[in-house]
Amino acid sequence: MRAPWRLSPEDAPLKIKEQTIDSVVVVSLDGRVDGSTAPDLEKYISGVVERGNARILLDCSKMDYIGSTGLRVMLVGARKCQQGGGKLMLCTLRATCKSVMEASGFLTMLDYYDTRESALAAP
Amino acid sequence: MLTFAEEIMLLMLDDDGVFLPTRGGAVEYILAGAVLMDLAFANRIDNDLEQLTCLDATPTGNPILDQALAHIANTVETKDTRGWIETLAGQETTEIRQQALARLIEHGILESQDKKFLWVFRARRYPTIDGRVEREVRLRIADVLLSNDIPDPRDVAMICLVDACGFLRDIFSAREIERAAPRVEQFRKMDLIGHEVGSVIAEIERSVMMAMAISPH
Repeated sequence: MRAPWRLSPEDAPLKIKEQTIDSVVVVSLDGRVDGSTAPDLEKYISGVVERGNARILLDCSKMDYIGSTGLRVMLVGARKCQQGGGKLMLCTLRATCKSVMEASGFLTMLDYYDTRESALAAP
Repeated sequence: MLTFAEEIMLLMLDDDGVFLPTRGGAVEYILAGAVLMDLAFANRIDNDLEQLTCLDATPTGNPILDQALAHIANTVETKDTRGWIETLAGQETTEIRQQALARLIEHGILESQDKKFLWVFRARRYPTIDGRVEREVRLRIADVLLSNDIPDPRDVAMICLVDACGFLRDIFSAREIERAAPRVEQFRKMDLIGHEVGSVIAEIERSVMMAMAISPH
């Protein structure tokens, strides 16, 4: 029997897809951003910035969970983008994730847009 | 790198190595939060608004952290962040404090001195012998709070602890505190463990104030 404290991998998959639209790297997140998947997301964002693309949009329309570790990774990502001369934007958060990010004040620190189109049109 | 518990212990000591009073006198909650922060940054635990979970029970090599990690990993009952702060604060903070001080002495940052006062009573002090680390922590906090840059999550967590202790007034002038206030307010929410530590301390402070208000003169 699985110990109740351990999140099993099947509970926490995160699929990451990428496309570039008008010099913005759109990274689509599908699944949970928790302690088991957040390190992969951090490496992914770092990789994009290291390739010279510091303007990143995280499309969160299929992200169904974010925990403390995920929030930290988003902050680290935003910091790296800022240091690289760009910015990390977020769009289309589901209600549960949006409430976590609102409660923790992240939506006032990061650039959030309700739609992908409005994020892509942002200066 | 020092742990959160070690860094906050450094800030709790004055120039003579005597412990400064903290808000609500609730050092145990600060230290419990510090240990949970270290476990979170070591990717051993994760938390959200409802629960704190163990992700990886592999020991970190730090006895302070590993004792708490084993406690969390071996507890079947689900608790939220506040539940774990209260549990650790009630059971393990004397050891956390002693081990953090021992490691600071081992690193050559503090020394331990036993002094007598009134010829009879013994008092132990921990004067600083290498003040660079403490100065670096204070400077880092000031830099983060007085700039508009996106902060490092580790600095956000540390600022939550310093704020919960009531030590920001020791780092900043009154004018700087006023300038940094909106950012402090924002950071209080951003680290979910730090936020809970701050809430617990605020509740203790309120309870003490109420008890003082209703106690007979």
